[in-house]
Amino acid sequence: MALLQINQITFQYPDAPTEALRDVSLMVNEGEFIAICGPSGSGKSTLLRLMKRECAPHGRLDGTIRYQGIPLKELPPKTTATAIGMVFQDPDNQIVMETVMEELLFGLENIGLDTLTMRKKIAEIVHFFGLEPLLDRPTYELSGGQKQLINLASVLLMEPRILLLDEPTSQLDPIAAKDFLNMLRRMNEELGIAVVIVEHRLEDVWPIADRVVLLHEGRVIYDDPPHKAATFLASKADDAFFDYLPSASRLFLHYAATNQNSRLPITVKEARSWIKGLTVRVKEASTQVVHERMKPVVLETKNIDFQYEKGKPRILDRLSFSLYENEKLAIVGGNGSGKSTMLKVLAGLLKPQRGKVVYQGRKTTGHIHPDIAYMPQNPRLYFSEESVKLELEKAAHDSPLSPETKQHIIDEWGLAALGDRHPYDLSGGEMQKLVFACLLLRGPRVMLIDEPTKGLDPESKKQFGEWLNRFSWRGMSFVIVTHDIEFAADYADRVGMLFRGEVTAMADAAAFFKGNAFYTTSINRITRGVSAPEVSTLKEAYVTWDVQNGSP
Amino acid sequence: MSRTKRGLHALHPLSAFLYYVGGAVFIMAGQHPVFAACTFVLVFVLNGIQDHFAALKKWGRWYAAAAFLIVILTPAFHRRGTHILFYFRDNPVLLEGVIQGVIAALSLLALLFLFVSFNQVITSEKFLFLFSRVVPQWALLAMLTMRFVPLFQRRLHDIGLVQKTKGMSVKKGGFLSRIESAMKLLHILLEWSLEEALQTADSMKARGYGIERRSRYSPYAFSAIDAVVLALTAAGGVCAIFGYALGDTVLTTSPVLEPVLLSGREWFYFSVYLFYFAFPMMIEGRERWRWHFSKSTK
Repeated sequence: MALLQINQITFQYPDAPTEALRDVSLMVNEGEFIAICGPSGSGKSTLLRLMKRECAPHGRLDGTIRYQGIPLKELPPKTTATAIGMVFQDPDNQIVMETVMEELLFGLENIGLDTLTMRKKIAEIVHFFGLEPLLDRPTYELSGGQKQLINLASVLLMEPRILLLDEPTSQLDPIAAKDFLNMLRRMNEELGIAVVIVEHRLEDVWPIADRVVLLHEGRVIYDDPPHKAATFLASKADDAFFDYLPSASRLFLHYAATNQNSRLPITVKEARSWIKGLTVRVKEASTQVVHERMKPVVLETKNIDFQYEKGKPRILDRLSFSLYENEKLAIVGGNGSGKSTMLKVLAGLLKPQRGKVVYQGRKTTGHIHPDIAYMPQNPRLYFSEESVKLELEKAAHDSPLSPETKQHIIDEWGLAALGDRHPYDLSGGEMQKLVFACLLLRGPRVMLIDEPTKGLDPESKKQFGEWLNRFSWRGMSFVIVTHDIEFAADYADRVGMLFRGEVTAMADAAAFFKGNAFYTTSINRITRGVSAPEVSTLKEAYVTWDVQNGSP
Repeated sequence: MSRTKRGLHALHPLSAFLYYVGGAVFIMAGQHPVFAACTFVLVFVLNGIQDHFAALKKWGRWYAAAAFLIVILTPAFHRRGTHILFYFRDNPVLLEGVIQGVIAALSLLALLFLFVSFNQVITSEKFLFLFSRVVPQWALLAMLTMRFVPLFQRRLHDIGLVQKTKGMSVKKGGFLSRIESAMKLLHILLEWSLEEALQTADSMKARGYGIERRSRYSPYAFSAIDAVVLALTAAGGVCAIFGYALGDTVLTTSPVLEPVLLSGREWFYFSVYLFYFAFPMMIEGRERWRWHFSKSTK
């Protein structure tokens, strides 16, 4: 019998013109690992929340959801609270108590366990997760990755049979995200807890999933084991879903025909063994991609030191680097390494204790320069007006651009259609578009962007990357701070890593990732140390590889 | 050693809570410069022992400013007395007024310092323990609000920074435009925070909050020292109220100004005050002493 059975449900939010979910059926068996993917607005989160009674959205629901054969509505509250666990996207908002220990105990105390039982459970879980050194720490001091592990641990303490996760790694750095997923896999394999995870970062989820479910416009398009699902996606004519495939499959599909009976690789390991059978030469013409390094410097930092308070550790420590004209510079680094702080210093929002920021030969340390725009991580912070139209008008009001140019920008972005809607009612991708357009209306030369791809689906991500390309051709420069290694590899010209307060290992995007073991793309991990030339992105492979015997 | 299990932190939430309530009664009853100075100094030292003045460093400036205002303003409104010090713009400044101002300022500071100490000892966990049974909804609300204060500060700062890049600032422009900017910042803050609070509520419900009576992982033990603290609080509290009623802990300013130096029965009450506020230090000190001792003899 299925652990959780969703039977032909249709769900509609109050006042929504269309259904969020249409005729969706899904079966979660004991110990299964299910990945749900699909574009933003396809109903992934809605479906996930409906499986957890306490978090179910309000609206009209037809069809049934049963847990071990009993309708979810009829289960006793204690069963739903313990048997079905949920971890949310934002690591901060889930934490309720002051210290790690109290947070772990929160759920257990809610269900009224006695001390002895609690002590046994806590001791076990603390050991399993290696949380010993954190127990007495205040929760607000932890890094995003640690917080998310605490959230997972505190849900796990309730001994769930099924665990629901809503984009749990979207705010974590690459290493923390991998740690989190590894922990999830261990729990799935060793404790037999069923997992249903909604993720945009599919690269690392495909290999560990038992089934991949693809949602589109509220319908389940496909529901099968990963290899079959990948083959299905690859065979589909429209390539809207092509981006959901792991890079391993995409690389394969470029060189091998799909109608072959050979198995489509989805993991790094499988792709490596496929490449071993290939003969790849470097294309003659392709090696001439030389970066001209003689471009003028636009923005420069010199020996910047920054700390928030005296006696607190230095966030930036003799930070020095240059940004060249129409360059896209990506800065990566762990959670809490000071990337956001660095952007704020560059934008003139924070004044460093030492050092200076120089824009086109002039010092702008601690001042906001109209040519330098700053795009915050959370687009909500940017909006202050009641509608999209007013927001755009406000941005256009004190802009040095000519009225034609302004109108052109608004038309180009197709924002007129959103007109009277409140900025908060837009989707994540639309919000970002609006902020981007508002910033462009001010006619900046340099844009500083904080985590642009957070929570974006592959398509919106691609679109954002295209904008960056378009505007750098027109002469703008970008500093992008990101956790998204794949994005940085695809779109940045140069990449640097912020570590211990300074930018180390700044190099051309292709060269940067080739030296790294973890901070690198899966394509790089696939092509490292095999007979084929090492590359870090699909595009690089397409351009430089000359494959002799693609189809085995 | 874990700071949370020793000294004052080891007291049962009820006795700790009542001790602080008693402390507040003492401070309000002691309307006398010597009593006020005594409580002020002792509570100040207690803060130093507890967190090396970390919290006071953050808020100290504002406390000092408030106290300064009281010292300045009280004499300006105090008109009853016979000892004229000098005239300020044709208004007499009275010694009685100055003394009243000093007493009020010292009492206010002592109360604030006591509250700082209270906040460290009565954690949200203990707060929930004390009040979640009597007034569950209010306890939860109070706790969420306490959690919100530092969050709000951080968020408002972030919003302010981002809005500054759009040219909106509360530090620029005319009075009205500043007010308008401030309103907009608050608007963003509230909308953002409410949405996040809903997520927190979801996370609490998801882990079964409110389905039955909460249990406690480490039940608070009622120890001998708790009995001592309770007895002290009760006896001390009665003394303080008596002292106040008899006027021994209050400096009479009218019709005649009583001498500031202590005399007779006042010494007795003074020693009660001294003991009451020195008691937590003894508890903390004993703990330190034990540790010191155990380390040195090994």
